[in-house]
Amino acid sequence: MLEVRGVTRRFGDFTALRDASLDVGAGEFVTIVGASGCGKTTLLRLIAGLDKDYTGSITLNGERIVGTSLERGIVFQEPRLLPWLVLWDNIAIALDNTLLSAETKKEAVAAQIALVGLTGFENAYPAALSGGMAQRAAIARALVGHPSILLLDEPLGALDAITRMRLQEELLRIWRHERVSMILVTHDVEEAVFLSQKIVVMDTGPGRVTAAIPVDLPYPRDRASAEFGALKHRVFTALNDNAALKKAEIDYLI
Amino acid sequence: MGKQLGFVQLPQTALSVPTVSMPKVVPMTLLKIRAFFAEQRYIGILLPLFILCLWQASATFKWIEPVFLPAPIKVIEAFWYMLTQQDLLLDIWASVFIIAQAFAYGTLLGVGLGFAAGLSRKAEMFFSGTINTLRHIPTVAWIPLVVIWLGLGAPAKIVVLAKSIFIPVFLNTLQAIRGVDHNYIELAQALKLNKRQLVRRVVLPAILPVVMVTLRYSVGLSWALVVVAEGISGLEGLGFLIFRAQNLLMTDQLLVCMVLIGVIGFLLDRLLLAVQNHLLRWQRGFGGRYA
Repeated sequence: MLEVRGVTRRFGDFTALRDASLDVGAGEFVTIVGASGCGKTTLLRLIAGLDKDYTGSITLNGERIVGTSLERGIVFQEPRLLPWLVLWDNIAIALDNTLLSAETKKEAVAAQIALVGLTGFENAYPAALSGGMAQRAAIARALVGHPSILLLDEPLGALDAITRMRLQEELLRIWRHERVSMILVTHDVEEAVFLSQKIVVMDTGPGRVTAAIPVDLPYPRDRASAEFGALKHRVFTALNDNAALKKAEIDYLI
Repeated sequence: MGKQLGFVQLPQTALSVPTVSMPKVVPMTLLKIRAFFAEQRYIGILLPLFILCLWQASATFKWIEPVFLPAPIKVIEAFWYMLTQQDLLLDIWASVFIIAQAFAYGTLLGVGLGFAAGLSRKAEMFFSGTINTLRHIPTVAWIPLVVIWLGLGAPAKIVVLAKSIFIPVFLNTLQAIRGVDHNYIELAQALKLNKRQLVRRVVLPAILPVVMVTLRYSVGLSWALVVVAEGISGLEGLGFLIFRAQNLLMTDQLLVCMVLIGVIGFLLDRLLLAVQNHLLRWQRGFGGRYA
């Protein structure tokens, strides 16, 4: 469904992303892991259409991506709610430019608020919401237009461990309910193994994709199981290989 | 409970001997006054009350000649006289009318052109040179020319004051738009908002805190300038009265005008503050409850 082929993004002389390729099937949950600066956010922004300056090709259902679209919902690292709008309006704003009737819009917003468990907070301003609630609202805003793919840029990174685990389960529930494809960028390996069907490992200098590890554990996954641990180990190894290779290069240089 | 324990454990030390405190006798009225001012919202009355007392004292003990500073009661009498025998209300209205109109035109033009320049670099290049030059010509320096053109009446003052409100509103609107968090612009892009929606739902609310402060600031400034403008040229209004009173050495009337100017300026600001608090009700900043 989503195909990324040989995508390179340069900022001047700096190559943020080199020759990256990636496939996401319909309804598939893919995570991208890697150290800071490996180009994972750059790649996500290219898929979102927020950044158009690249070489290579990115297509969704065979069509080349040009600019942003409500077909591709995005959740940023921080909730990015508009502080002057109440929760309801913050979610409804995503439907401002759709042709739906007012009644349909209203139903969609109410359904989405219920899905993320924020019913009763419709008239709250973002300043009154906790970090977890705000991020749920951001997820609802990205989903309300029923995109075919949801892009999540480390959405849980700023949350505490408990809220984070709870929201990971929420994400799974939402993913199953909405049957939407998801790309989640994270640097938390456990999160990646817990959530996704495929883990794409990236590395720095220049940013590139180094491995794609399929995860075929059945849902719901047990974080304490041996299989879970083995997969985590595999992802860590892939990440460490990158680090080890780099170290070898440096040794060689010396 | 704590005291009791202490007493039991250390019965012989002088420190632990409990003292029987006599209930202090405080007059009821004093208690009431104290309770009244203990409430935060009345605390603002204290200072004006003190100044008034000082003023009265200076009259009672003849520290200052009445011709320089008449007693408060004389000023109140003068106020009543001006209100009933002269056209004080009309003069107040003349001044308020000028500031209201100048405020409306200055704000509309300032926000409008500020938006144009803020949203388009081209428009900014077109306007900014001219406006940044005009802004260095003080408002008072405009009065003679505009009076030659428009005469001594209200229109000349409205034009001059609208200009004095326009300049800060324009500059701050422009800067505030340029300072809107890029993340919000990106969000609007992701949500596919069109230009009109971007302005109405993102840019306008984002700059409102800055614009509101500018409006309050420039209204205060312009209210002061109304008085100057009316004093320089004019046949009515509080500014006219105050300079007339000076020429005729009617210090009591002069003080009436001064107090009125202060009070009306205060009320204008409170009005705008109420509007600001309503428009910015989503903001949760430092509430000032530190001490």
